[in-house]
Amino acid sequence: MKITRLAAAAAAAALLVSACSSGSTPSPSAEASAGASAGASAAASAGEKGTLKIGVTLPLSGGAAADGQPTLKGAILAVDQANEAGGIGGYKIEVLPLDHAVNGKYNEQQAAQDMQTFAADAAVIGVVGPYNSAVGKVQIPISNEAGLLQCSPANTNESLTKPEFGALDYRKSFPDRINYIRVAATDDIQGPAMATYDYSKLGLRNVLIIDDVTTFGKGVADNFQTKWEELGGTVADRVGAPPDTTDFNGIISAAKGKNPDGVYYGGVVTSGAGLLLKQMRQQGLDIPFTGPDGIVNGPGDAEGSLIQIAGKDAAAGSYGSLAAIGDFPGKADFTAAFEEHFKNDADFNTPGAYSGPAHACATIILKSLDEFLKTSPDADQAAIREGTRAWASDTSHSFDTVLGTESFDANGDTTLPFISFYTVDPAAKDGIGDWVFKEQINFGAE
Amino acid sequence: MTTNALSARPTFVATFQRLRLGPYLFMVGFALVVYLIIGPEQFVNALTIGSIYALVAIGYTMVYGIIELINFAHGDVFMVGAFCSMYVLTTPLGQTGPVTDPPALAVILFIDFAVTMLVMGTLGTAIERFAYRPLRNAPRLAPLITAIGVSFILQNIIQIIYGPSPINTPQIIDPAARVVVGGLSIGVINIFIFVTAVTLMIGLQMFVSRTRLGRAMRSTAQDREAAQLMGVDINRTIAATFFIGSALAGAAGVVQGLYFGNIQFTLGFQAGLKAFTAAVLGGIGNITGAALGGFLIGFVEVTAAAQGYFVWAQAAVFAVLIITLVFRPSGLLGQQLGERT
Repeated sequence: MKITRLAAAAAAAALLVSACSSGSTPSPSAEASAGASAGASAAASAGEKGTLKIGVTLPLSGGAAADGQPTLKGAILAVDQANEAGGIGGYKIEVLPLDHAVNGKYNEQQAAQDMQTFAADAAVIGVVGPYNSAVGKVQIPISNEAGLLQCSPANTNESLTKPEFGALDYRKSFPDRINYIRVAATDDIQGPAMATYDYSKLGLRNVLIIDDVTTFGKGVADNFQTKWEELGGTVADRVGAPPDTTDFNGIISAAKGKNPDGVYYGGVVTSGAGLLLKQMRQQGLDIPFTGPDGIVNGPGDAEGSLIQIAGKDAAAGSYGSLAAIGDFPGKADFTAAFEEHFKNDADFNTPGAYSGPAHACATIILKSLDEFLKTSPDADQAAIREGTRAWASDTSHSFDTVLGTESFDANGDTTLPFISFYTVDPAAKDGIGDWVFKEQINFGAE
Repeated sequence: MTTNALSARPTFVATFQRLRLGPYLFMVGFALVVYLIIGPEQFVNALTIGSIYALVAIGYTMVYGIIELINFAHGDVFMVGAFCSMYVLTTPLGQTGPVTDPPALAVILFIDFAVTMLVMGTLGTAIERFAYRPLRNAPRLAPLITAIGVSFILQNIIQIIYGPSPINTPQIIDPAARVVVGGLSIGVINIFIFVTAVTLMIGLQMFVSRTRLGRAMRSTAQDREAAQLMGVDINRTIAATFFIGSALAGAAGVVQGLYFGNIQFTLGFQAGLKAFTAAVLGGIGNITGAALGGFLIGFVEVTAAAQGYFVWAQAAVFAVLIITLVFRPSGLLGQQLGERT
């Protein structure tokens, strides 16, 4: 019976994915082709040698659209800009986005299939994504085997790159051939950073820690807790609530007796951050709600955002960290370019938290491709893929991106590990509520 | 057929005489222990969530009792009920938030419950008529697969109409409103949910034990052929069972929306799984058993949360199920099952 239902679930999942892309969120493929054609008209010389593709692997529909769509558009913007400037080494670049959200949540199986699709397509020379660390865990072994460059704008789980946390389990096939790089800081930085912020900036002393029992959520909450206890804070309670939880009332009532003065939620909004916050406020628990980048997902009018689910007034007093540079050097120009480029889109026409990092990722892939093609202009597609990967993962190279001058260490981690802090302002964005930037810290400088 | 489902309880005296007190004493004892462990506030949480599980479980058990079908679509009828209630509240009634005027609130709640239960009852009857009745004499696997199919059809319809994201639904009973009962501050919404659920269950029990149609349902459950020979209209009786069970799921959907203020098209799977567990726990086919099972699951889940082992809540629920089935293979109030089942 159970098996039957699961098999049926798999079949229906496939149906749902196709249903999603015809829904209200802009279809990724339509998006990409629109972007690509805009680029093509401006660049006559681009494409004389053919087309190369940059894959984008993100959850793009349902509750995850608020995460995925603005991130995808950051990558599209970078590629369109490159095409408008004449393409890369005679090639026209195309964005190939694949959506791995199933039922509105990221899905590892779908993500693994998508990565196999990219690996099998010789024209794909690099991939931007994924968004969720659990997805990174299933994709890295595949891209590592294929030697396909992958740049994540948002993955923060430390075990994806750092051998001391078990990264070699993921790049098993070629442990020394780094193909996965990321511009986001890691959770061994992000979790402790929020602990410091909660302790010294918000003055909290006794927090309730809840995680969603996933790779990312539990990982970041563990890191938070270690630092928190080091700082001298106490933990009112530590609870795991699986991602399909809807009723948090029992957890909240239990915690109330222990007088927490703040909450740290390790997880993402689709795991229940919004429902938890809503139920907390309904039970009269008006204490700061803090969390990692997983809770910072768009303004009050974005489908499935924390602020929308909890309500903007309930969401006030929420603080989130982002493993990215909030106030990056090229931000004003980037925002203007983004809004101009996507001004005709019905939704997600302003940059999201990870639009800049996705733009940077695409820029890094394009720059590596360009540099490789300068040295060997006549390489075939397999050689281009390997050459791009090799150039990008070389620790001596650096990249001028909207985030600043990025470079990567021997594990593929950024040398600019910034953490930014955001808070919900119910009056922002004409009264619908949005996350506003508070401050940022560069942990690379320490 | 010996599944004495929707068990016959003609009068109160006879009920008391036939009552096997063991399971009830067990439930009372269990509730008492839970109360002592988790305290009054958590007990209220448990009764509230248990009420929702119980309402959904009753429909499950009624359908199984009468045609021995595990109606996988039932959880999704509950989910559609939650969406139906949201539609009724927002579009024709134009509600956005808490209603403070008690008479107005009562009228709105009445309309919401009446419309949602009627629509869901009709939906349930339609599902029976078009998906299950043609297969009534087919091998048992056929209607089972059909039920799974119906479940996905309902999910997809709602997903296409409302999108896959969680959607906020108006909480017309102010979720922050509380009353003090015996020194304990209890949410108005919690009391409302528990009272509504218990009222509906008592109403159902009266209906099944006191009316002609109720008697027809019991006799059909006991022996379909014999009931038919006695002049019971089988099709009408089964349709009525589906109507009532689905209407209760609709009521649970309304309550879910009022309590959580947020619904999603995937709601039905979890709810269906828990309701099915509750029905088995209580003795599938037995209405009172399903209600007890629903509350039992609520108790176990909230106890796990209260003790800081929320992540084990699901495992604890199934551990209780297994232990119960070891000692009472046919559930708390289940009858001895014959060879056909």
